[in-house]
Amino acid sequence: MTGNIAILGYGLSAIGPGIGVGLIFAAYINGVARQPEARGMLQPIAFLGMAIAEALAIFGIALAFVFKS
Amino acid sequence: MSIEAAVLPTQYEPPGTADFWIPLIGDGAWAFTRASLLALVSVGLIWWWLHATTKKKALVPSMGQMGTEAVYGFVRNGIAKDLIGSKEFLKFVPLLFSLFVFILVNNLFGVVPPFQNPTMGRIGFPIALTLVVFVVYHWVGIKKHGFVGYWKSLVPAGLPKAMVPAIFFLELITDMFTRPVTLALRLFGNMFAGHIMMILFITGGWYMLNSGGILPIFGGVTWIMTFVMTLFELLVEVLQAYVFTLLAALYIGGAVADEH
Amino acid sequence: MHALTFPAAGDGSGWGSLPPIIPHPLELIFGLVTFAVIYWVVKQKIMPRLEEIYAERAAAIEGGINKAEEAQAQAQAALQEYQAQLTEARAEASRIREDAKAQGAQIIAEMKQQAASEATRITDTAHKQIEAERQQALVSLRNDVGRISTDLASRIVGESLHDETRQRGIVDRFLAELESGDVVREKVGAVEGEDS
Repeated sequence: MTGNIAILGYGLSAIGPGIGVGLIFAAYINGVARQPEARGMLQPIAFLGMAIAEALAIFGIALAFVFKS
Repeated sequence: MSIEAAVLPTQYEPPGTADFWIPLIGDGAWAFTRASLLALVSVGLIWWWLHATTKKKALVPSMGQMGTEAVYGFVRNGIAKDLIGSKEFLKFVPLLFSLFVFILVNNLFGVVPPFQNPTMGRIGFPIALTLVVFVVYHWVGIKKHGFVGYWKSLVPAGLPKAMVPAIFFLELITDMFTRPVTLALRLFGNMFAGHIMMILFITGGWYMLNSGGILPIFGGVTWIMTFVMTLFELLVEVLQAYVFTLLAALYIGGAVADEH
Repeated sequence: MHALTFPAAGDGSGWGSLPPIIPHPLELIFGLVTFAVIYWVVKQKIMPRLEEIYAERAAAIEGGINKAEEAQAQAQAALQEYQAQLTEARAEASRIREDAKAQGAQIIAEMKQQAASEATRITDTAHKQIEAERQQALVSLRNDVGRISTDLASRIVGESLHDETRQRGIVDRFLAELESGDVVREKVGAVEGEDS
């Protein structure tokens, strides 16, 4: 089996953000379901939270390429 | 590389990072690449579209004008006004609107024929946009609070004295490093990874369709999946344009806010 | 379909085999320049137009709302005015009714009083008249009685007692005596003698 161990690192780094983003959108959906008029207010917050949680996965993919060779 | 080699490969070669390197004229660091060409095309398209749809300034809009107005209203009221505050958001609207439209069109190039190559999949472009945002939000922050005041405003007021250096250091890293790096890499990563996925599906499906045995069936399924992936890519492309603009507005809003 | 044509990795150029997070200098410059152009177009041409449209539309919608509000306010004012007038009219009507009641009572009282005083006056007048008539009757009776008596007496005594002064004195004296009740028969001659 050939490949690069850095990809494994990316896979690991994607676990946390995956769960995090899931939680954020679960909360967002809950909030909107309970109070549909709050959608406009919650939407930027949800995407902001997603962006912050996602940052870790992005570092992961970047570092996977950095340490590839 | 000839077409034949790709059509009838003896061994499947998965797509890699090299697929994004498509120099059209020249080679090396100063080569004119496909992504550069697409960026130029996008400028022409955006210019033409915005000019054509807003030329009449009709009170009862045509379809095109309505679309432009919808996007503009979304950026103006949904992003800029909400995140920067209704006092000084108006001077940042051109920047945010340009960012949104530029990223959106270039992202959509990733799935729309005949372009089919996301400009933002080449990291030079996200870095260029991030540089602009980075400079702008530090510049407006310093202009508003003064050079010393701006750095002071990074630390929230009312903190115990002992914690101030640590928090300042953390905020400094966030402001100077984390924010711009993630901003650029998020856009790049999404476009790059999404496009690699699509290449994988298409070339993999093509390879299987041209193989013997039962593999062509899987190849067909893969190509159907490609269609679904394309729709998903569309969603991601629009979403990333939104997220980039949203974060740019948020950083600018944080820099000009009275209380940090 | 570039997806089907792979330039093999590391085909001499170098850039194809580099990690993709190394920015290509020309692309970076292209990004800056193209974005600058877009920004310039949006800032100089597109945004003023869109803001103009936006303001116009907002003004049109706001104008409509303002107009409707104005009409509503007018209707409200008219209603209030009408109600105020109605209340005023009601108050006035009740005031007039009260006034009329009071005035009626006053008129009745006045009338009563007037009637009473009139009755009194009539009675008084009647009394006075009766008294006057009685006096008149008394006086004329007295004269008549005097004259008749003297006539009678002169006839009886045959001597004229028509001398005015004498007659009056005798008659008066007689009547006074008659009233006091001590009528004494007197001698005509004595009287005559005394007078003459």
